[in-house]
Amino acid sequence: MANTTPPAVARALIPPAWRTPLFAWALVLPALALLVGLVAYPFLYAIYVSFTNRVIGNDGVWVGLANYAYLAQNTAFNSAIWNTVVLVTVTGVLKFVIGLGLALLVHQHFRFRGVFRSFLMLPWAMPAFVCFLTWRVLYQPIGGGINLVLTQTGIYPEIIDWLGQRSTAMPAVIAASTWRGFPFWFVSFLAGLQAIPKELYESARIDGANAWQRFRHVTLPGLKQVIIVVTLLSSIWTANAFEHVWLLTQGGPSDATMVFPVLAYYGMQTQRIGEAAAVSVAMLPVLLILVFLATSMMQKREDEQ
Amino acid sequence: MTVARPRPHPHPAAPDRPTADVFWTIRRREILGKTITYLLLTIAVLLILFPIYWMVITSFKLPREIFRVPSLWPQVFTWNNYKILLEQKDFLIPMRNSLIVASTVTVTSLLVSSLAAYSIVRFRYPGRTLVGRLILFAYLTPTSLLFIPLSILMARLQLGNSIFGLVVVYLTFSIPLGTWLLQGYFRAVPRELEEQGMIDGLSRLGALFRIVLPLSAPGLAAVAIFTFTGAWNELLLALVLVTSESQRTAPLALNYLITSDVLPWGPLMAGAVISSFPLMVLYFVAQRFMVTDLTAGSVKG
Repeated sequence: MANTTPPAVARALIPPAWRTPLFAWALVLPALALLVGLVAYPFLYAIYVSFTNRVIGNDGVWVGLANYAYLAQNTAFNSAIWNTVVLVTVTGVLKFVIGLGLALLVHQHFRFRGVFRSFLMLPWAMPAFVCFLTWRVLYQPIGGGINLVLTQTGIYPEIIDWLGQRSTAMPAVIAASTWRGFPFWFVSFLAGLQAIPKELYESARIDGANAWQRFRHVTLPGLKQVIIVVTLLSSIWTANAFEHVWLLTQGGPSDATMVFPVLAYYGMQTQRIGEAAAVSVAMLPVLLILVFLATSMMQKREDEQ
Repeated sequence: MTVARPRPHPHPAAPDRPTADVFWTIRRREILGKTITYLLLTIAVLLILFPIYWMVITSFKLPREIFRVPSLWPQVFTWNNYKILLEQKDFLIPMRNSLIVASTVTVTSLLVSSLAAYSIVRFRYPGRTLVGRLILFAYLTPTSLLFIPLSILMARLQLGNSIFGLVVVYLTFSIPLGTWLLQGYFRAVPRELEEQGMIDGLSRLGALFRIVLPLSAPGLAAVAIFTFTGAWNELLLALVLVTSESQRTAPLALNYLITSDVLPWGPLMAGAVISSFPLMVLYFVAQRFMVTDLTAGSVKG
């Protein structure tokens, strides 16, 4: 269908120098229109709504920083700040160590390498909601697999209500989140390792570098870019994830695992749209820095190719 | 750390064979290394498999085995949970909705992103870099920031409570993702092939559809899988937008199972098994693309 030449009239009307840019713009236009309408506009609208006292059924009026002032002394919001920092940092470190360790192991030559690699990626192939629902069942005092294994093997004799008490709820969320999230790091590191030229290792060996020195001076520098991009992406995703906390604890017990997206969702449920919007906009400054760093790094890499 | 260990054979290509002693030291170290590798990987795999195992066996257990006499292996296998889920909870409806939503999103965004990615990769024009950057920005804009205004917007457009509305809002993450990833694949197609095709009478669009897209087939497959998975997994927007039972997707239906007072672990895990199924099939069919390509674009080698 597209093989016909444009009608002569159109050809005559559009100067030749404009044809290519116009065509190129026509191709991006559908994507661009959708993104302006469904990402850029809602994005700005969210910021606007966060400065109003909008509720469901009433558009509200401009209240300036009132919502933010309210949030600043709200305990749930303050827990959410701290919890997000803990969640992002601890899962980040765990996923880095586990992902890199496993990638280094799988990067060797041995039998069943492919089988191991496939199994290690399983949590990532499962839908996120399935993962966290499964972990919710695993953590149950009654019917949960973890308590059963701990008591039956005698490692710990008492039943623990992992998700029901403040001291264990956050570690439980972190463990489940790491389980689900490490394969992305693992696979990215594995791809990064495969891209490091073998000759570098060879010449390091000739220079008498031991295993640690080769890791320190060849592997880590070779992975630097991957590590930075993966850390940025994963931090953005973890800080904004909803499912893990919602399906495991719904933010409880008593806000011990509360995070921004869950708090914003509660705000919507109680129909206070202005406040809810302020919750999600409040993390914007930090988010923008991360997103800006990530986009510059990713675009730079793309241009290098 | 011993650094300056004297090396009898500094050059790997040195032809003399190592003495028997050295040979055995190396051999022993190799065996030890292999053992540790297998050991650690086996532990990791067991830790990965245990939750999945628990999900599957819980879905086959009777309530009394889940709650009263818990066991590591079901004493009685039952299909009861599946029956409850499919007959009482009508789980086939959300499954059908999820399939419709995920496939529509996949097809639509593949088409729209192919056009956009092709434009960004092949042409030099004012605004190109900006468009590329905007798309990347959109890709990284989290749903948690957009769900409130999107729900207001969808309500205003009368698309609030329907799977069609879900398709529309899911394009917000699938199109940026698709466009970003496809740029990497399209860039790998040699320009000369297109030029040759155009000399042979293909138009620009013809070159895209007859040459670039077929040559990027593995990339398209990978992007299709990511898009499908993303739409299949989405919970927050569905939770906010959909209120009527007939429009629920699979994650939404399961979410409402746990917010009730009775905790139906058996049927819940049956639902988990059923709703993982389509993704597991996709994953195993396309594993080859995924392993090599899933980081393309974002963290490509």
